[in-house]
Amino acid sequence: MNALLVFEDVPLGRIRRATIGGPAHLPVEAEGAFSLEVAAHQTVAVVGDETSGVNLLGGLVMGLDRVPEGHVRALGTEIATLDRRAQLAFRRKLGYLPAGDGLLQNLSLRDNIRLPLRFGSDFRPRDIEGRVDVIVAQLRLTRVADRRPAQTNAEERRRAAMGRALAFDPDLVILEEPFDGLTERAAAELLELARGGEVSEGGRRTVLITGQDLPALLRRRVDRQVRLRRGRVEVPA
Amino acid sequence: MLGLFTAIGRGTARWLALVGALARFAFEALASLRSLPGAGRRVAGRVLLNQLRFTALQSVGLIVLLSGVLSYLTISATITQLSRVGASEFIGELMVVVIVRELGPLLTALAVISRSGTAITAELATNTVLGEVRALEGLGIDPYHYLVLPRLFGCVVSVCTLMVLFDVIAVFGGYLAAAAFGGMSGARYLGIVLANLTTQDVVLTVLKGLLFGIVIGIIPSFQGLSVRQGPTEIPQAVIRGTVGSIAVIFVIAALIVGVLQ
Repeated sequence: MNALLVFEDVPLGRIRRATIGGPAHLPVEAEGAFSLEVAAHQTVAVVGDETSGVNLLGGLVMGLDRVPEGHVRALGTEIATLDRRAQLAFRRKLGYLPAGDGLLQNLSLRDNIRLPLRFGSDFRPRDIEGRVDVIVAQLRLTRVADRRPAQTNAEERRRAAMGRALAFDPDLVILEEPFDGLTERAAAELLELARGGEVSEGGRRTVLITGQDLPALLRRRVDRQVRLRRGRVEVPA
Repeated sequence: MLGLFTAIGRGTARWLALVGALARFAFEALASLRSLPGAGRRVAGRVLLNQLRFTALQSVGLIVLLSGVLSYLTISATITQLSRVGASEFIGELMVVVIVRELGPLLTALAVISRSGTAITAELATNTVLGEVRALEGLGIDPYHYLVLPRLFGCVVSVCTLMVLFDVIAVFGGYLAAAAFGGMSGARYLGIVLANLTTQDVVLTVLKGLLFGIVIGIIPSFQGLSVRQGPTEIPQAVIRGTVGSIAVIFVIAALIVGVLQ
């Protein structure tokens, strides 16, 4: 199996924040070690309650949190072993929708989508504008694209955050609590956007979804759903 | 007795840890300049321009008011006394030593801390609490590049330019006060002031501008990004950033007087 994402014996109860700011202590009651492989083109959902450690998985893949033992490899690279500069560059190869959206409140939705492209790519400004226009249209944000996040509703903000995550058209997408507060229809639409269409092996992109639960409609649309309890996979559903 | 030593030891260790973390933050922020990508420079440049607009341009009124009133009060209170004892020539030394060299830089720094230092801490703390800083890192954007460096350079440039503005207004305000209360001509007043202004004064003013700007750029940013427990910590972070900046600036001012003057 060609796994794009691998968690290998990761003790979720002993994670440390590696980023600037944010809480230092992570309220997780994990005991065991977590292992999971996500094959290319698969969409895998990992669900569990707040203390299960499920909310740490995205940060580990992105190298935002530090794991004392075990390994986390994305696209064949263990991001924790890279230096800070290489980590930042590597993250641009992945798509990341953090819990709570993380949209910059002083920028419009369009500027939020534009930011990673303008900061982390050598595309010409005209090409960036073209790409942003396509993303905005795909996400049906044209009407509200020039508004700031506080002037839009939760679904529009989530769409914008998804657009920002997909700005570099990554092969692997990490979605943290992406469907919280959305209707099933909106959630299904976002999931299809994240998958990026279909190829013979499954979705065009590989997707990892983490959250407390998955809407019923989406359970049939993911390739695999696993439940996490106290840092271990409980039941492969 | 043991308890007292333990408390002192703990307090000292906490203080040293804070100084160490602050020094590391400042070093990492400055070192990150080397890795700022070409495309990122343009974005960071726009954030820098915004910072300059807020910190320098919008502070001009406050600086003019502070400087004008300070020089007016100082000169009007002293010119009559100095003239009475035939020492009106000392007005130049008074102007240069008290206002241009010491009070000007300090008051400018205090004004910038009260406007921009507090805003920087509150803004970055809010960014942190809302998960925006973590999201930036997740997108491969270094928060030092996007958030810290533009504010740092914005503060350095703003403090330096506002200090020069403060001194110019102070000298001009002093002239008005000297003419009104001491009957001194403009040419004589300017001659006395310029005769007392040395190259060292200019160099020290620029040095203070640089150092104070770095302090106002670094400490509030550090405190803003250090928020850990949520929104309730934001006011505390603002207080820590403000008090810390003021304290460090006064210590630097004292060190410069003690070591370089």
